[in-house]
Amino acid sequence: MSSRGDGLRLVAVLLLLAVLQFALRPFLGDFRSAPDLLLLALLVFAIRARPGEAAVAGFTVGLMVDSLTPVAFGAGALAHTCVGYLAAWGKAVFFAENLLVNAGFFFVGTWLRDLLVLVAGRHMDQTTMMWQLFFWSPIKALTTALVGVVVLVVFRRWLRIRITE
Amino acid sequence: MSFKPDRFSTRRDTLAFIICLLLSVSARVAPPPVQDSLARAISSTVLAPFLWVQEQAELIRASRGRYALVVESRDAALVTAFTARALEEENERLRELLALSARLPMEHVSAEVLHQAAPTTGLMVVLAAGRQDGVVPRAPVIAPGGLMGVVQSVTARSSVALIWTHPDFRVSAMTLDGSVFGIVAPRGAEGPNTPLLELSGVPYQDRLQPGTQIYTSGLGGPSGVYPRGIPIGEILAVAEELEGWSRTYVVRPAVHPAAVSHVVVLTGPGVDLRAAFSRQEP
Repeated sequence: MSSRGDGLRLVAVLLLLAVLQFALRPFLGDFRSAPDLLLLALLVFAIRARPGEAAVAGFTVGLMVDSLTPVAFGAGALAHTCVGYLAAWGKAVFFAENLLVNAGFFFVGTWLRDLLVLVAGRHMDQTTMMWQLFFWSPIKALTTALVGVVVLVVFRRWLRIRITE
Repeated sequence: MSFKPDRFSTRRDTLAFIICLLLSVSARVAPPPVQDSLARAISSTVLAPFLWVQEQAELIRASRGRYALVVESRDAALVTAFTARALEEENERLRELLALSARLPMEHVSAEVLHQAAPTTGLMVVLAAGRQDGVVPRAPVIAPGGLMGVVQSVTARSSVALIWTHPDFRVSAMTLDGSVFGIVAPRGAEGPNTPLLELSGVPYQDRLQPGTQIYTSGLGGPSGVYPRGIPIGEILAVAEELEGWSRTYVVRPAVHPAAVSHVVVLTGPGVDLRAAFSRQEP
């Protein structure tokens, strides 16, 4: 497979996740626990990209998220930049092809994003923030991780990812 | 696990990361008007097609719900009990909204709520109605149960509403008969699904009983934000007492933002809305 073909396939998967994020949102139930496919697209990109590229992608995704819920504009950009960079760096240092490790990678990435958004935004009172971080965010991280595993399994050839048990 | 030193962060990666961080911090500390302009610009250009997709999906979900309910009424055996219950709930919400819409004595616009995935989406939501529909900043947003929030910014086809859970949210409130007044603000959460409000500044001699309904007072007249008579919630208990001076009460909100999929944005001059909600009184 050519490098250009690989790139196009990766873009196609990322675009699909972005469109599904908006198209499926009304059908996914409570928004606090539903998977975040936009963040998942960033994490999938981070698996394949260099840390700098992932940071730029994170910044872009973060700005979009901030524009949709401008509670603390810039907090989303900051959080996604950090998560994108750390995800790409982490995958480079501890590269794993194990499905469970990848699920953990998606889980931690999602939870860390929520933590950074809430800390950088400082717009929630303590009790609400605790419930968000230790109740809703883990559920969201879990659903995102589950969808992430499905995406990796379904698109493993397109994403050029080898999965072991 | 295998070690891949060739993909470690290089100086170029670090530089890109630092630049993105600096840009993020700049966006975070930028003046609110600049932040609003940026958010509006992005949501009305790059995100516009995605929001359109979400709006259509929301319409499909609502239409599908209504259609399936008709099918269910003709042949209940075809729909499982679980699906039927979910669709009935959806249909009930739409019926409530339509009924409220018919009762409202002032100009208004119906809009779908486009919930997002960010952890902050419980504080602000995107509405699928914008300037073209007559929505303006500071327009009150209500749901069938009562007050939901206020429009903060508007683009041509969408708007962003600040919900009552936002720490900056304040509304002047009163009892149904207008004998007791106070200020309502968010008050944290009692559990993962129970955000609360508080009514503060109630004179010490005015004692409110649990279950008392609280409405917007309409103070500020025609130039105020909220018209008189929109339900806010009901008194749960006394939260704090400033001996001999005032009391603060815990209020159970009338509207839970996570359960709302359709809202009404009030666009006309404010009038007393108590009658529009009176059928929902216990």
